[in-house]
Amino acid sequence: MRRWFERGIVFWSWGSAVLLLAILLSLLSYLVYRGGGVVGIGLVFGDVPPFDALLLRRQVFSGLFPAIAGTFALVLLAVGLAVPVGLAAGIFMAEYAEGQIKWLLTVLFDVLAGLPSIVVGLAGFSLTLILHQMFPGRLGPCLLISALAIGFLILPYVIHSTQMALESVPPALRRTALALGATRLENIRQVLLPTRLPDLLGGVILAIGRAAEDTAVIMLTGVVASAGLPRSLFEQFEALPFYIYYISSQYADPRELQMGFGAAILLLVVCALLLVIAFIIQQTLSRRLSRF
Amino acid sequence: MSAHIFRLAAFASGFLTIAVFVMMLVLGWPLFTSGQFFAILTGEWRPSNELFGIFPMLVGSALVSVLALCFSLPVSLGTAFVVATLAPRPLRRAVQLMVRFMAGIPTVIYGFVAIFLLVPFMREQLTGGSGLNILTASLVLALLIAPTMIVFFVSGLQNVEERYRLAVDALGGRPVQKLLYLQLPQAWPEITAGIIMGLGRAMGDTLISLMLAGNSVAAPQAAVDSGRTLTAHIALVIAADFDGMQFKSIFACGLILYVFTAIVVMLLRLIIGRSMCQV
Amino acid sequence: MMKCFGKSLMFGVLFLFIGGTANGGDLDAFAGRQGILKIAGGTAHIPVMKAAAEVIMSGNPEIRITIAGGGTGIGIKQVGEGIIDIGNAGRKATDEEVATHGLHMVKWAIDGVAVAVNPQNKVVALTSAQLQDIFAGKIATWKEIGGVDREINLYDRDAASGTREVFWEKALKKGEVAQKANVVVSNGAMKTAIAGDPYGIGYVSVGHIDSTVAPVVLDGVEPNLETVKSGAYKVSRGLFSLTKGEPVGLAKAFLDFLLTPTGQKIAIDKGFISVQ
Repeated sequence: MRRWFERGIVFWSWGSAVLLLAILLSLLSYLVYRGGGVVGIGLVFGDVPPFDALLLRRQVFSGLFPAIAGTFALVLLAVGLAVPVGLAAGIFMAEYAEGQIKWLLTVLFDVLAGLPSIVVGLAGFSLTLILHQMFPGRLGPCLLISALAIGFLILPYVIHSTQMALESVPPALRRTALALGATRLENIRQVLLPTRLPDLLGGVILAIGRAAEDTAVIMLTGVVASAGLPRSLFEQFEALPFYIYYISSQYADPRELQMGFGAAILLLVVCALLLVIAFIIQQTLSRRLSRF
Repeated sequence: MSAHIFRLAAFASGFLTIAVFVMMLVLGWPLFTSGQFFAILTGEWRPSNELFGIFPMLVGSALVSVLALCFSLPVSLGTAFVVATLAPRPLRRAVQLMVRFMAGIPTVIYGFVAIFLLVPFMREQLTGGSGLNILTASLVLALLIAPTMIVFFVSGLQNVEERYRLAVDALGGRPVQKLLYLQLPQAWPEITAGIIMGLGRAMGDTLISLMLAGNSVAAPQAAVDSGRTLTAHIALVIAADFDGMQFKSIFACGLILYVFTAIVVMLLRLIIGRSMCQV
Repeated sequence: MMKCFGKSLMFGVLFLFIGGTANGGDLDAFAGRQGILKIAGGTAHIPVMKAAAEVIMSGNPEIRITIAGGGTGIGIKQVGEGIIDIGNAGRKATDEEVATHGLHMVKWAIDGVAVAVNPQNKVVALTSAQLQDIFAGKIATWKEIGGVDREINLYDRDAASGTREVFWEKALKKGEVAQKANVVVSNGAMKTAIAGDPYGIGYVSVGHIDSTVAPVVLDGVEPNLETVKSGAYKVSRGLFSLTKGEPVGLAKAFLDFLLTPTGQKIAIDKGFISVQ
């Protein structure tokens, strides 16, 4: 009886893993099947010569270039906002915070990490409403608001990976520089952070992935279906994940739908690359550093 | 000096988290003062009759996420068994990589593929109707939350001291026995945490339900009914008149989701004393 | 595969054609101008807006036009609040809306709202009474009206939709819409949903109708450009663009452009009826 039960468990476990693999493979192959044919220079730049598009000599209307540029700008801004703040907050959490304050902040950052992205988007949208009432000028949903909201969304992950990285430094190494007369800040800057750099970088890269894929936040804070290249913080913009969502519900012809599949492949490749880079950094750097 | 900057950054981040709650409370305030809050929680959504209840969305969210959990739990647990113990070492790593890759797939891509692959199948073979329903959405959500749960389950299962594992090996125990009688019994806190975390993820997702659940405003009676979640409701009603009650009601949705997140975080703290940022 | 390429080729040629017919005179107002023009609102308008924006921006790289949907409700609201420059509406703005924000309205095309089903559907004609019963949920299967024995899948639009307002007022005579109806967010999304669902029924701007969806004859009148134009098809409406106060600068140039022969040609190409 027991033996049959154990066999059943083994069978079911392997079945589960194989099922997940099968679903994953069918998802990937379906994407390639529907969109593979369209992946290429034309997908990005349409009928405009790539060089002209990159030099902003001609605008791309039938390619993904504006959406890619929009996502790129958005991620750059959001990460630029979140990393300094997150790094500083993470250092505080690991090195300075104590007792109830630490507990409270940890809980708050956990809540922030768990907040549905649509709620963060709603907060960003509310911010635009408030700003709009305060300065009844022309401020509406725009790239800056989206970047702020996305930065806020990834902030807890940056804080957390910084904190974890610092806290995992072995006590012996932690105290060496201090014993030699280094200040606390010098110790953090020249010993603690450099030793745990791979963990930190890994965390940041995963945060980039999150910033690049999120759709719900930007949907509420300034992404539009058609805007051209982003040129100002106060303008609306296009983005790759929103483009995919938009196409899924309102492609006008088979060509547009195929471009939607192409865009999905592109976004997937970007996210996969980020994962691989994070993985490699963690592996190689931590191996090199473990020699210390 | 620099310590002050670090403190400022941390406090500001914490303050902003609270500010989000306060902001939604302020903007949704008319809901509370007019004594309608309760009516909104339990009522139906008929904007043309001045009824702005979000009860159908509450039911929708609950149904979608619980169903997703039910589909995902067995598969995730099984996969976690494989990763933790059953597979030989190199294979273990491969499955783990697969799980990590799945966690990195953008949500919108799951939804996009499901629209063209799963929805027609559901319509013609399984549920009838339009194929856009609670069941479709929860199946895809199950896939979305699986990596999260697997990571929690695996870390719980591997939480056993090496010498106990070696002891089982030495006694001639097969891997499955080690798993069932040594690793599983002590992994319950992590497994519970993984389940709560999975539920939280499912409840918080917008795109999948927006794209696949149909978005009807009737309270769903069955899994094959079209339904709308709280998150999708926010995305759909954001376009309404800013001054109207209809628009205010999305702040009620936002507040509910916020409170729900806070509860999830507290439960996780109680059970394993660990953070949500792990996955 | 070949078919797709053929279509895309056709599309490219079409774009060139539109670009080519843009005679200089109609675009003169944009020469030397720069700046950004934000447009949002009605989703029926989007194809025309996109095409017009492309024609304008190709010749004047310093002008940028962003186009968002959201529905008529959001178009009127946001233009009133000064968040966007031009708000599109798929219905006439109410006197109240015009008065509160001091809106200026331009009607640049005429459109109808057609009941749409999947081309596979055998049901090709309905009476108003049947239509109202279908949307109220009283007629629940296609069999009851001569179709297959499958449940009817209703598709409705969100509350911000002007298309919904016109349809509800003129076709449903303000009758009930069943709560179980699926909700989609734009004319484009409605078309896609109906095109993908053999048992679905919804309503869509006449301009958006193509081979992927089949318009339903309503009370003996087929919804198409001719019947809408002649007034035989009753569920018709204007397509409007609004500005806060009298239009100035780029917004004025854009609205004027929509009424030029080139602008009107774009509207006609996209399936609407010229106001001239």
